[in-house]
Amino acid sequence: MPADRQLPGADRRVQLMATCLCDAFFADAARATVEVLEHLGCVVEFPEGQTCCGQPAFNGGDWTASRRVVRHAVRTFAGELPVIVPSASCAAMLFHGALLEFEKEPDLPAVRQLGRRTWELADFIVNALGIKAWAGRLDARLAFHRSCHARGTDTGAAAVALLSSIAGATVVPVGEAEQCCGFGGIFSVAFPHLSTSMGALKLEHVRAARPDLLVGVDMSCLMHLGGLAEKAGQPIPARHIAQVLRDALKNGGLL
Amino acid sequence: MARQRIDAYAARIPADTRAAVYLGTKTTHEKRTLLLADHFADADRLRRWAGEVKQHVLENLDTYLPQVEARLQANGAQVHWASTAEEACAAVLGIMQARGATKLVKSKTMVSEEIGLAPYLEQRGIEALETDLGEYIVQIDKDHPSHIVRPIIHKNRREIARSFEREGLGAYNDDPETITRRARQFMRHKYLAADVGLTGANFVSAESGRLVVVTNEGNSRFSLAAPRCHIALVGIEKLVPRDRDLVLFLNLLARSATAQQLTVYTEFISGPKLAAQPDGPEEMHVVFVDNGRTEVLAGDCREILRCIRCGACLNVCPVYRQASGHAYRSVYPGPLGAVLSPLLAGGNFAEKADLPKASSLCGACNEVCPVNIPIPDLLLRLRDRGKREHAAAAAAGTPPMGAWARLASSPAAWKASLAAGRVLNILPLGLIPVPALRAWVAKRSVPAWRGGEFRKWMRRRTRP
Amino acid sequence: MSAAREQILARVRAALAPLTRRAPPPEWDDASAVRRGTRDAADPWALFAERLRAVNGTPLTATADLVALLDAGGWRHGYCDPALWPRLRDAFPAPFTVETAFDRRRIDDYQFGITAATGAIAESGSLILSDRDTSSRLAALAPWVHVATLRRDQIFVDIPAAIAALPADPNVIWVTGPSKTADVEGILIEGVHGPGRQVALLLEP
Repeated sequence: MPADRQLPGADRRVQLMATCLCDAFFADAARATVEVLEHLGCVVEFPEGQTCCGQPAFNGGDWTASRRVVRHAVRTFAGELPVIVPSASCAAMLFHGALLEFEKEPDLPAVRQLGRRTWELADFIVNALGIKAWAGRLDARLAFHRSCHARGTDTGAAAVALLSSIAGATVVPVGEAEQCCGFGGIFSVAFPHLSTSMGALKLEHVRAARPDLLVGVDMSCLMHLGGLAEKAGQPIPARHIAQVLRDALKNGGLL
Repeated sequence: MARQRIDAYAARIPADTRAAVYLGTKTTHEKRTLLLADHFADADRLRRWAGEVKQHVLENLDTYLPQVEARLQANGAQVHWASTAEEACAAVLGIMQARGATKLVKSKTMVSEEIGLAPYLEQRGIEALETDLGEYIVQIDKDHPSHIVRPIIHKNRREIARSFEREGLGAYNDDPETITRRARQFMRHKYLAADVGLTGANFVSAESGRLVVVTNEGNSRFSLAAPRCHIALVGIEKLVPRDRDLVLFLNLLARSATAQQLTVYTEFISGPKLAAQPDGPEEMHVVFVDNGRTEVLAGDCREILRCIRCGACLNVCPVYRQASGHAYRSVYPGPLGAVLSPLLAGGNFAEKADLPKASSLCGACNEVCPVNIPIPDLLLRLRDRGKREHAAAAAAGTPPMGAWARLASSPAAWKASLAAGRVLNILPLGLIPVPALRAWVAKRSVPAWRGGEFRKWMRRRTRP
Repeated sequence: MSAAREQILARVRAALAPLTRRAPPPEWDDASAVRRGTRDAADPWALFAERLRAVNGTPLTATADLVALLDAGGWRHGYCDPALWPRLRDAFPAPFTVETAFDRRRIDDYQFGITAATGAIAESGSLILSDRDTSSRLAALAPWVHVATLRRDQIFVDIPAAIAALPADPNVIWVTGPSKTADVEGILIEGVHGPGRQVALLLEP
């Protein structure tokens, strides 16, 4: 994570990178992200030309393809505003991954400039906007899944701080929490046995905690775990943290 | 599309092997985590410092290697250099032949596995006996170690008991204590009959020329107490700058490897025995081995050479836990091996190019690495190389991304697909002949396609 | 072999030549690397004894206790460093037979070996042995019981101190408890190639 990240200006204008997964599947997580940011006084711009952060090709090893997509993102999100992403992995792609694949490229400075402005949502709420506790109410046992790309960032701590502070909510510990859920992008389809074995193990630990909701900062992990659970006939309600924060506000009559 | 070999292997391993590997790795990992937190206020800072010390050594190896050679020679050791595995084996053979020696006892050194030393010597009429209990069992089974610290993590006591019976060490008995006592009795006479004791080195201090060898069993110590000649095989990257730096590494190594503060034996060797000492080697040889390391040093993954072979990354890796070490088809398995094995393969990189793909890039390995190697970044670099060199092993199972990249750099095309994707909500997904989709759908449901919905909502919201 | 030396060093130099800057060594401090509760311990011997017990070693302060331990274990034939034997001899009654030369041809005869330690480390419960002070490496290693004699002034509080004081001896070994393995199903077994009992005997002047 860059040491010198850009904070929002007094007008709290930000750009939203919705992520390709929310664009395609999880519209409500993107909606909730906007509602939460606006509730906090942000003015949210949505550059329509956005597509994807370039991570799938990056992880797959096709850096030529990935760089093409990252360049498109650099153009789409041109400017100086903070870019908020409801995904720890997409955020990490922009402030860490992209720097690797652009190491020898002439436009590395532009890529770095975008990375410096990129914030995962929970991290932004707690560490850029200074929110210590979340208003509203949600009576539920929450199992928090800290996705692997949040390692080495402040996202996990920020998410747990927000969730724990919600009136009525209990964040329940999940066994072997440091173990990956098995998604890993292309890994999920290139190594399907490993991916689903890891996912099944994670679900065992989640179920043992008897949560009402599985909450994450990445829809990719939740899509994988939720998909596994549903196909096995034992669906588990999964929500993005933005949805939980929004629902808490709604329950409290604040939205 | 071809299937990834490591995935196929993982699907086939027997349930009790997987259970043994899972239990062994998880237990050590959890103990390690507790121990470090109990003993130190900030263990992460120690890991970062240790990583910086190792990076400094690697980037100044041109100074440190000649320095350590001079110190070793001043201490009375003979220094040899081997560019290749073949040269390293030949160096050991040469030393033995010069002494008319035919029996060698060896303690655990992964470098000896790497160069294929034991079979090389056996083929030339030399008995090269593994003395570490786990490695001895691997040797009599004609097997390969599956973990760099716990070589038989994949075996159970019954298999070991049968092997001992077959070797003539006694009637079948699978009690671990009995097995260990039999090995003790058998091995001590072998040490005494051996001409040469061969060890590796966990560290070599460039300042004093001391080799540091750590074990729990006492086998390396016995190899240095009974035989009259010592040969140490050492990768050129095993240096530390000063004796003082050993404080950091000794504090991190055993805790990371076996969740102990220190291993039972920590031996500092700087030359042949003192004249007045009745036991030990009168002659000491150090063979510095390259075998591809200089090529790694020249590349963009040189951080992997910091590795101190603790195995902590293997223990925490969810892929290693599911697949076990043999899935990697290499001397070095797990996250370490996924980086090092393709690199050391040199011209045969393509054969091992699937190893860096067998990872979800979770980063748990870097989190436990005592020298803070950025393993996920190195795996990514190797994936890039695998793609650029068109390695088929790397490509297996991976959908081509060129068309996707064109789609994702054209807003019009992207929005059109968001709309078009709605067809997925009505088609039988399992029948669509897209391999990636079929691999997903076999065990996971696909969420409802909602392409365009958020954008429509957002447009309405921002319209004045 | 010197051809290999030149080739390897040349490759190392070529590999590092493109670096515009070589990583400097970090500044790190000893205190951060010392285990909690070490430097503030009141008595080094007491801390050493506690940490040695934690790894199943046996700290003793009286020769009589050593003799009782050996007797209770049925270990009555052994070896002792000839320089130590005059001091210890009187404590060993008749059934004990002790040799002051270690005959490696009869390695299985010795049930215990008594040698002098060079030092000890309180932080880890480790004994320090060296070629100069160990009358026989095998006597300290092969018998089931090893006894290292120790003086208070030989005890280092922590590992940094022990490293700073590494003697100019070709062979120094830190011994931290009895030998062990967990190779068979992760089950801890003591007494592999080295001793199954590790004793530290404090000898007061």
